[in-house]
Amino acid sequence: MRVARKANPTTSRTWTEKVSGIQSAPGQLVRLKAVNAEPAAKATSNATQEAAANRARFEEEALQHLDALYRTALRMTRNPSDAEDLVQDALVRAYRFYDRFEPGTNFRAWLFKILTNTYINSYRRKQGRPQESSLEDTEEFFLYNQLSDDSAEGVTDVEGTVLDQLGADAIQRAIDQLPPQFRTTVQLSDVEGLSYAEVAEATGVAKGTVMSRLFRGRRLLQRALWDQAKSAGFTSGSKVHPAAPTTHQQPKANGVVAGGRR
Amino acid sequence: MINCRDCARALNPFLDRALSDDDVAQVRVHLEACGGCQHLFQFEESLRRLVRVRCQEQSAPESLRLRITQTLAIERTRLQKQKPRTDPLG
Repeated sequence: MRVARKANPTTSRTWTEKVSGIQSAPGQLVRLKAVNAEPAAKATSNATQEAAANRARFEEEALQHLDALYRTALRMTRNPSDAEDLVQDALVRAYRFYDRFEPGTNFRAWLFKILTNTYINSYRRKQGRPQESSLEDTEEFFLYNQLSDDSAEGVTDVEGTVLDQLGADAIQRAIDQLPPQFRTTVQLSDVEGLSYAEVAEATGVAKGTVMSRLFRGRRLLQRALWDQAKSAGFTSGSKVHPAAPTTHQQPKANGVVAGGRR
Repeated sequence: MINCRDCARALNPFLDRALSDDDVAQVRVHLEACGGCQHLFQFEESLRRLVRVRCQEQSAPESLRLRITQTLAIERTRLQKQKPRTDPLG
């Protein structure tokens, strides 16, 4: 008898509340009622129960990715209030279409794909044409070359360099300067840690396109990071810039290490 | 052994863990022998880490988490009401 009492619905409800954050467990209650019901009613109840369990699982899993979704939405919209609306719209859509998600496939990439589509369908239109970035393209390994200028050995870590002084805000501003397609790709890969295949699914392009966007996007990001360091005044008076730069011209990087140049 | 040019080309896929085991081994052999490339790889890796770690400091506002939980609850109720009535007794 004690065992039977332990398995009461209250325990289950607590668990559901915990994972869903919502006070209801229709599936659990329905199951108890369904035990002696007619077969047809039982089938309906089972379907309802399954749907409820699925939705609780959706919420639990989706909220684990909330920070990543929000950060990415913020890079897409570049506006906190739009980013919140975008994440909410995307998650409601994902919730509605959760039965189309194939279990065993990549849930995170699926969520990001819905985020990307929601953005393209509703928000990008609202925001009008993306503003053209004035970011200059750079040589490859631009920062390494800049910072290794005076060092025979080559610098091996950003720690202790001007870049280390850049806070999260400055780095995010640098990412925000990238043209949109590069921005999302770099964010998903370099901040959120998605693989090439995941980024490809999330952004709806081929893997090769992801790789070339990353290649170019990272190069642009290096320039943008350098600009941030410069505008914060971190580079003035450093060994890299003995004279404060007054024009858009960058000093030519000398002493490139083996492999640094194509 | 691969040269510096091939090694530099492999930098992105190497750091992204997208190279085959064979290619990883070739890059490692080169890095062991070439201080210049080794420094470059170390620098680029530390730069990736800086970007990732600093940006991941940002999390979603608690109010958004709450809002989504509430919105999904409303959506759930709506979806339940929408369920087609297949029960012949109902």
